[in-house]
Amino acid sequence: MSRPGGGRPDVVVSGLGVVSPYGAGTKSFWTGLAAGTCAIKPISLIDTEGFRSRIAAEIPAEVMGALGVSRRRSRADRIALAAAREALADAGLPAARAREAALIVGAVGGGMLEGEDWYWGETRGRPARGIRALRSILPFSHAETLGWRLGLTGPKETVVMACASGGASIALGADLIRQGVVATAVVGGVDALTRICFMGFNALKLLDPGPCRPFDRDRRGMSIGEAAAFLVLEDAERCRARGGRPHARLAGYGMTTDAHHVTAPHPEGEGMIRAMQMALTDGDLAPAAVGYVNAHGTGTPQNDRAEALALRHVFGEGSVLVSSTKSLVGHTMAAAGSVEAAATVLALQHGLLPPTANLEHVDPEVPFDCLPGTARPAEISAALSNSFGFGGQNVSLVFTRP
Amino acid sequence: MNGHRVVVTGLGTVNASTAGGRDALAGALALGRSAIAPIRAFPVDGLASRLAAEVDEATVAALVDRDAARRLSRICRLALGACLLAVRDAGIEGGPALGIVVGTEHGDFTSSRDFAQGFLRRGATGLSPMIFPNTVMNTMASVAAIAIGAKGPSITLNQSTLAGDLAVARGARLVADGRAEAVVAGGVDELFEDVYRRLSEMGALSPRMRAGSSPGTRSPTSKPAPEGCRPFATDHNGPVLGEGATFLVLETREGARARGARIIAEITEAAWGNVPSAPYSAHPARVDRGSPVARLLQSRRGEPFARCYGAGNGDPAVDDWERALLARDVGGGRADLMPPRSLAPLFGQHGGLGALRVGAAALDAERGGGSVLVHGIARGGCRTALLVGAAA
Repeated sequence: MSRPGGGRPDVVVSGLGVVSPYGAGTKSFWTGLAAGTCAIKPISLIDTEGFRSRIAAEIPAEVMGALGVSRRRSRADRIALAAAREALADAGLPAARAREAALIVGAVGGGMLEGEDWYWGETRGRPARGIRALRSILPFSHAETLGWRLGLTGPKETVVMACASGGASIALGADLIRQGVVATAVVGGVDALTRICFMGFNALKLLDPGPCRPFDRDRRGMSIGEAAAFLVLEDAERCRARGGRPHARLAGYGMTTDAHHVTAPHPEGEGMIRAMQMALTDGDLAPAAVGYVNAHGTGTPQNDRAEALALRHVFGEGSVLVSSTKSLVGHTMAAAGSVEAAATVLALQHGLLPPTANLEHVDPEVPFDCLPGTARPAEISAALSNSFGFGGQNVSLVFTRP
Repeated sequence: MNGHRVVVTGLGTVNASTAGGRDALAGALALGRSAIAPIRAFPVDGLASRLAAEVDEATVAALVDRDAARRLSRICRLALGACLLAVRDAGIEGGPALGIVVGTEHGDFTSSRDFAQGFLRRGATGLSPMIFPNTVMNTMASVAAIAIGAKGPSITLNQSTLAGDLAVARGARLVADGRAEAVVAGGVDELFEDVYRRLSEMGALSPRMRAGSSPGTRSPTSKPAPEGCRPFATDHNGPVLGEGATFLVLETREGARARGARIIAEITEAAWGNVPSAPYSAHPARVDRGSPVARLLQSRRGEPFARCYGAGNGDPAVDDWERALLARDVGGGRADLMPPRSLAPLFGQHGGLGALRVGAAALDAERGGGSVLVHGIARGGCRTALLVGAAA
């Protein structure tokens, strides 16, 4: 694809903010990843009686209570606001620069958890909440809340691309910087646990009754999680000029669609291959330059098989280290892309690759070192993060050291 | 807009007035007949609101073949139908260089309701794995991408009031930036009883909305004016919902010329921004000085726009806000542009309306007379502006 206008701005990541099942803050997120702690446990938020899988990676109640965000907001709004605030504080932007920032939020469930409380009660003749709970039910409610509370005036969008939403938010924010529309973008994804999501993946038999085991021969599906992760992207030159200290450079991205099936990935990973190749081309990187791939790695038989095929096609058998963050914090849905982008950036920064938890018998169809159990020190200069979603949505992001 | 020049080469619409390509939309606009009428799809007993612009079932049934109709939800059929009409109108082929951007406000609530009801009636065994994927808003884009062979970026944007405008703006940026050679961009929403009922109960629809109100926070007016969609009128008292889908085919000018496509118009600028405001509020926390929309319009102040389309839909607070923003940024003395033209009285408020506005602007530009401004402001502060000009 021809890209007009050479000499466009380089994009760096200058701020990170995460609220994850490990706790609030990027520090607790990285500590959990580096230790290889699996945060997937029995669900407490919703009734799971009668379901095949009854576990998820929830944000603990004490963490929610200490976020410093009004409890009147939806659970998803609360974690989104806390994560975005941390990212902006981490970037240390001057107030005027922050105000001009774009805001791109990847979302799927919106405030559905509270909407379900209302609907369940209404249907059973026992309304649990006022009708106002419905006002935050739609995915765009997060961007409205963040745009208002953070006072942002740049382009505001809510992107709904299923499990690729968070990754897409980063790609679309980067484009606005490269096009010179803004110098800064607050980007990321959020999803809280919802009954519909939990029940839906159970109905599709895509959930493992035990903690998920991506790339394992005996994997039986994924585990759901909840989180919010936001990144501050900046025009690299403007960041340097203000004395900012970037965590990493977003070298490029690829975004493709399988146009194959509404729920199943293309069996040969055709769209995934194009997304990864596009990201490498966009970042002007050869496959050999990439030392680590933070895989989409859901733990479903279909996804992991297709992703392994795609990785082999792009990088060659065994030529890159691979791990799945979902084995640690679950599949955080719309947040997954940005949670895993943050993990990738932190891995580059710390020279330590987070492991794949619960991986005991590597699937022979996955010809890669998937870093079982323990984080591994590795000085890499470039890393790729994959996010794939229902609808054949594929987003690949490539990060390098700043 | 930096990068490739972006032109409109096809239109596809399925709305309460018509279904078809460029000519069908041009015909409906020329006729200027409102499709708003008493709702037939569901009972409105006990509600103050009784009107909507509905797409009749015969039109929906004719959009896709019977096999597809069995598999797809109604809103997916609306989106798919309009996308197929648009690509046919443009004569464009699918492939890795074709993308799709879908804007929607409510998505497929019908499927969410049906999925939840399965559980509430029969427990875990009542859950349908066939329905669940439809509860995610990107399913309309996925279904359409498969049908038209769009293997480039597939993006779904969720936004109140301006879903279609935003989708076209983002689509134009993708093309300008070379992320896709062509993009099918637009919006879709369907009428859904539960949403209609709740919005009516919250006072968010005509005839129960009054100036300064925020849905769900004020009691209804004691003596409302009659129900109806009257944007910018002194007796405006809320929007009337519609439904449907409208999509435009956007592509690079060089690509369109190379394949000998008919070029309807050019999108010369596409900007969007935020005026910080509380969710659902039409009362900004601060004046819009810095958004990309304000900057764009102020830089074009005094330009002889042939026409201005606005997002005003009869919501008094939004109508007043849009009028004030345009007066400041375009010029209050522009009697020819104020108030902006609203298409909500013809087609009802829905996620495809913004794309329909851009389509109407493209048809205006095709006839000549200068560029056309398509402006929008939504509760919560999202603001959009697209400039559409004749194809040079």
